Amino acid sequence: MNGKALRSNTMRWRYFKQYVFFTLVRGSAALITLALGGLIFYIVYHGISAISWEFITQPPTHAMTKGGIMPAIIGTIYLTFGAIAVGLPLGIASAIYLTEYAKQGRIVRFLKVGINCLAGVPSVVFGLFGLGFFVIFLGFGSSILAGSLTLGFLILPTIIGASEEALKAVPQTFREASLSLGVSKWQTTYRIVLPNALPGILTGSILGIGRAAGETAPIMFTAAAYFTAKLPGSVFDEVMALPYHIYVLATAGTNIEATRPIQFGTVLVLVAVVLGIDLIAIVIRGYMRRNKRW
Amino acid sequence: MDSNIIIDLKNVNFYYGQTRALSNISMTFRKNKVTALIGPSGCGKSTLLRLLNRMNDLIDGTRVEGEILYEDQNIYAPDVDPVEIRRKIGMVFQKPNPFPKTIYNNISYGPKLTGVPVDDMNALVEQSLKQAVLWDEVKDILNQSAMNLSGGQQQRLCIARALAMKPDILLMDEPTSALDPISTAKIEELIEELKKDYTIIIVTHNMQQAARISDETAFFYLGNLVEYNKTEKIFTKPDVKQTEDYITGRFG
Ligand SMILES: Nc1ncnc2c1ncn2[C@@H]1O[C@H](COP(=O)(O)OP(=O)(O)OP(=O)(O)O)[C@@H](O)[C@H]1O
Ligand SMILES: [Mg+2]
Repeated sequence: MNGKALRSNTMRWRYFKQYVFFTLVRGSAALITLALGGLIFYIVYHGISAISWEFITQPPTHAMTKGGIMPAIIGTIYLTFGAIAVGLPLGIASAIYLTEYAKQGRIVRFLKVGINCLAGVPSVVFGLFGLGFFVIFLGFGSSILAGSLTLGFLILPTIIGASEEALKAVPQTFREASLSLGVSKWQTTYRIVLPNALPGILTGSILGIGRAAGETAPIMFTAAAYFTAKLPGSVFDEVMALPYHIYVLATAGTNIEATRPIQFGTVLVLVAVVLGIDLIAIVIRGYMRRNKRW
Repeated sequence: MDSNIIIDLKNVNFYYGQTRALSNISMTFRKNKVTALIGPSGCGKSTLLRLLNRMNDLIDGTRVEGEILYEDQNIYAPDVDPVEIRRKIGMVFQKPNPFPKTIYNNISYGPKLTGVPVDDMNALVEQSLKQAVLWDEVKDILNQSAMNLSGGQQQRLCIARALAMKPDILLMDEPTSALDPISTAKIEELIEELKKDYTIIIVTHNMQQAARISDETAFFYLGNLVEYNKTEKIFTKPDVKQTEDYITGRFG
């Protein structure tokens, strides 16, 4: 009798604790969903009216108070793919060096701390670095090239971090199996380790892609044009870009209030472009996973 | 030197950082024989095995003293390429570790990448799988992932993969410890078959297995080689009391 009462008491207490905990967890999940949903709703609500075929296929007109944003869409796509083209190979190569080749010790630890610090550096600092180094010192001018390089460096720490994790997740037994056959270290890395790490590398890099597409400060001085109706002819041309266009319309446009719908429309397009590029990465990753699983 | 000797260890010490894992080991391995390495956990069997194909090189901070002669050449001499050594001295691990590739590509991987001239890859794959007594089970599914095979099949695939490199020596580190009795029996038969063409050095915790398949047996304890003799002798009247205690399970 006594024992039973005791048991049911402790049980009730346990259920109560569980209930409180679950409620907390559910609550924060709901809160986040709500905040995110609210944000998206807000953007769509204000921006949808601006979206039209003309909006995404025509350049701006009437001092950017009318017309479309096509040059900015194209510019952002160029810059994002440029940043990936710079950041992904460099980042993967660095991560391969750090995890597969470098002797694990004080120097590597120091390098890793440095890379993590780099991830926390404000993006405007990258912008100024790009201006000083790529635009002026290397003479690239304000261009797709300079902007891609700057954005590439900006997302480098993210890609290195993701790649390191993905490389470490490849079972050591795969490396041993390959090496024990008399296959060289480099071939083992290239044929076994890298293919098995690529899906993970892409997952982590998606974060970087979003960042590259959405940042304003790094491209402000290195790539973005205030206004240009023509499309870039080479990597040395300036381009319009979605985030910078939003910034310009919202702070320095000819008629800030009247262009609100265009601003929100542009935000909506930016979100769509980022999602679109992420989707491409996800599809590629899915394809790789199907072929290389363990 | 006796031409039947393929590996000759002379006063070998091995260190992980500061800790010595093997002390003053001198022993020889004979060609086309099966040699079993036995001893309690942590006594250095795997360390010794991995020393023979320089797999310990992969661990930072390790150090070797003494000489390990493979066909009269010190494999730890500065001008020796460990990659070359591993082509001649293959290895099968405790846990089956096929690559996440097709069965066919698991076998062809080594020969393809090491630039061994192969006239007919299909024939090599077939031959290796037949040697490992796996051919009949997989000949219709060569293009399926090796990860779908059973544990015992995977282990035989790993043996086939090592054999495709046509090594001289096959090192096996507890190759059956993760397998059921039937797969184990298959692999034991296989070892019996393979010793015609290969020198086999096998680590095992299974005394019956050592007694069944090996010609010679070495007993290690705390990084020392305690006794090394014909398997028959070790299992009937060993010279050292410690060996007897271990084999009969009276070890403290
Ligand atoms: N990578 C390593 N770094 C440091 N010490 C190690 C390492 N690998 C093994 N050792 C140590 O070396 C000694 C011998 O280990 P080894 O793996 O050779 O033993 P073993 O005889 O194979 O044991 P088991 O039967 O459990 O596999 C042990 O004391 C172990 O702790
Ligand atoms: Mg072991």
